[in-house]
Amino acid sequence: MATTVDRPRPAAGGEEGRRGATGWFDPRGRRMGGLAFILNRLTGIGLVLYLYLHLVILSMLARGPEAWDQFVDIALSPPFLALDVLLLTGLLIHGLNGIRVGLVGLGFVASRQRAMFIALMVVAALVAIAGALRIFSGE
Amino acid sequence: MTAPASEGHRTARFRVLRRKAGDAAPHFDDFDVAVGPDSTVLEALVAIRRDQDPSLTLRHSCFHASCGTCGMRVDGQEGLACVTKVGDASEVTVEPLANLPVVSDLVVAMDPFYDGLEPLGRPLVRSSENIPGALPDGVEAYTRYEDCIECGICLSACPIAGSDPLYVGPAAIAAAWRVVEEPRGREPGPVMRLMDDDQAAWRCHVAWECSEACPSGVDPARAIMQVRRKAAGARARRLFGMGGRS
Amino acid sequence: MSQPQGGAAPFHVVIIGGGGTGGALAHDLVLRGVRVTLVERGEVTSGTTGRHHGLLHSGARYAVKDKESAVECIEENMILRRICPGSFELNDGLFVAISDEDADYEPAFYEACLESGIPARRLTAAETLSLEPNLNPDLKLSVQIPDGTMDAMRMPLRFFATAKANGAVIRPWTLVTEVLARDRTVYGIRVRDLTSGREEEIAADLVVNATGPWAEIVARMAACDVPVQPSPGVLLAIRGRVCDMVINRLHPSGDGDIIVPQRGLSVVGTSSWVVEDPEDLGVPEDHVEMMYANGSALVPMVRHAERRAAWSAARPLIGSREASTGRELSRTFKCFDHRETDGVEGFVTISGGKGTTLRAMAEKTADVVCAKLGVDAPCRTRDTVLLPHDAFYTVVPAA
Repeated sequence: MATTVDRPRPAAGGEEGRRGATGWFDPRGRRMGGLAFILNRLTGIGLVLYLYLHLVILSMLARGPEAWDQFVDIALSPPFLALDVLLLTGLLIHGLNGIRVGLVGLGFVASRQRAMFIALMVVAALVAIAGALRIFSGE
Repeated sequence: MTAPASEGHRTARFRVLRRKAGDAAPHFDDFDVAVGPDSTVLEALVAIRRDQDPSLTLRHSCFHASCGTCGMRVDGQEGLACVTKVGDASEVTVEPLANLPVVSDLVVAMDPFYDGLEPLGRPLVRSSENIPGALPDGVEAYTRYEDCIECGICLSACPIAGSDPLYVGPAAIAAAWRVVEEPRGREPGPVMRLMDDDQAAWRCHVAWECSEACPSGVDPARAIMQVRRKAAGARARRLFGMGGRS
Repeated sequence: MSQPQGGAAPFHVVIIGGGGTGGALAHDLVLRGVRVTLVERGEVTSGTTGRHHGLLHSGARYAVKDKESAVECIEENMILRRICPGSFELNDGLFVAISDEDADYEPAFYEACLESGIPARRLTAAETLSLEPNLNPDLKLSVQIPDGTMDAMRMPLRFFATAKANGAVIRPWTLVTEVLARDRTVYGIRVRDLTSGREEEIAADLVVNATGPWAEIVARMAACDVPVQPSPGVLLAIRGRVCDMVINRLHPSGDGDIIVPQRGLSVVGTSSWVVEDPEDLGVPEDHVEMMYANGSALVPMVRHAERRAAWSAARPLIGSREASTGRELSRTFKCFDHRETDGVEGFVTISGGKGTTLRAMAEKTADVVCAKLGVDAPCRTRDTVLLPHDAFYTVVPAA
């Protein structure tokens, strides 16, 4: 009865009907797992942007000590420190959730995935707060 | 089958997404319907079709979450209309399932869904989990239907199915896992090979929406993870030269 | 052979009604070489077919009072097992005696089953409880019979799938607005495609009315009269699979006397009343309460089980209009050739029956249709194994 196929046949059909990536951000009907999915996308994009910025900044090193000193002044300003906290939070969310996805995604602890997400986000929040305090109080 | 006027009825407004062949874009139509404390969304839609607009098309059959035809989105959330209560909502928005082509109004084409299931050859009937003290004369083992009622709700809820036209979808992978768990004369090997594919089991991003939305207890997300675990184990064994193909 | 004289195209039969009967008839006629178009205003099986509890009937319930029905049922039960392999839970069923009166009824019941050709086996209370431990522990005895469970939509869908693969044109979302006739001869129908609003006429050599509880309403469109009374009953689906075998109460047919397992649910049925309008059945709460009460008499855990759904389904009962509860009417099906009953040519109605007898209803109707058209082809549906239900969506019919 089963026919032979080279690739599995896609189940969604047609251009119309498919919600597209904007459907990811429709909050109606979404639960914890869907939220984790969206957060991972957003933090992922954020971290890529950060990586680019980081490389741009490092390239300033090539332009000598004056450019670097200028940058250090900006880097110690409160808005920039706030961005640091944001970066830390993004790293924590993406990293910890990533561990969850890695474990669950190979069939381990799959039944507790919701509890895992909550627990890890609590850890992320605590570490982010501790980190924020440390960052703003100065090294 | 809505509450008769005498039985504590109130009026609820239903915003139903309409689209007919040839329409450039869908639009919402509003209907006021008498509902009672136990009314379901399906009962209200059937009343709308009977009393207000016979051109409203929707799928339904069993009225008890067994046939899987009445899947739709109620206030953005996937569910079977026949067991979705109106409750005390004063306004209810009804749209067809996502990620499947709309035929008309709330009717979606299920062909692509079944195209994904068909190659797996999953039998409809499985062994029952009930082990009685004795079996009836002439019955070798108690059997029961598979949980999956082929409603397409998992596909509608899946964010990947929404953005990737090639993803095979949670229902197919869950059906495949059932063949692996309980072959019933089928060959699990080819089914696993079909699912061990970047457009099948590895395309999932663990959003878990499919299992949350499934009205029939299939838990496709867990099945996908089981497939991945088994596939990963087999690959690892091959990598380290232990054991043959799975 | 299956063509009008002159060797032109095959006869074209239009079937109104996409329930189990319409689907089985489309399948039968296509195998006899007839061209078939089936129109259904909603989803296939959405009228009444899909709503029943899913019993693959052994006929035992009818053995004592309606032998004709009982014999029909057990024959069709066995045929369906053969032509729809893999589509049933074949766990058999039990008729359970709870009270002393029930137990007194047993000998007559058992004998009637055997006389109707229904294999039956007597079981003691202890034997019964070891098969189904959730049963009422005060039960007296039971009789095992070959009931089974079907999926009320997917089993008929196999008939549709096979008919479609063999060339039948199945058109859901197609509403019949007129039955076209000239000189008291029906020559076609006028339909509205509900997916587009477009209207069209479909010419036919013969039109079959297979609309179940709507049979009388549709017959009137052809100026014909058919005594079909919609007789609804309430059904209750509870969460939890309380049994694997079908559980029936052993007593003369009454209300709330069956429990059918359906995946992770158990369906408790059923009650009975008569209505005029098949569109508005209602779900009387006192009937739902009756399902809980009578179901828990058989299986005590039903009492506190969570309600998954409660709904009504209309049986099409043929007979006089005076029946008040609907049970007195025979459950046999009947095929009406309206040339004989109303002087209208080219129009046939099939109604009555139950889910299990769809193939037999189709065979008898196809016999009448083919006799009227002069098509000389035997029925082949007893032995033709049907395609799986998903073929309805995946198979592209050969041109």
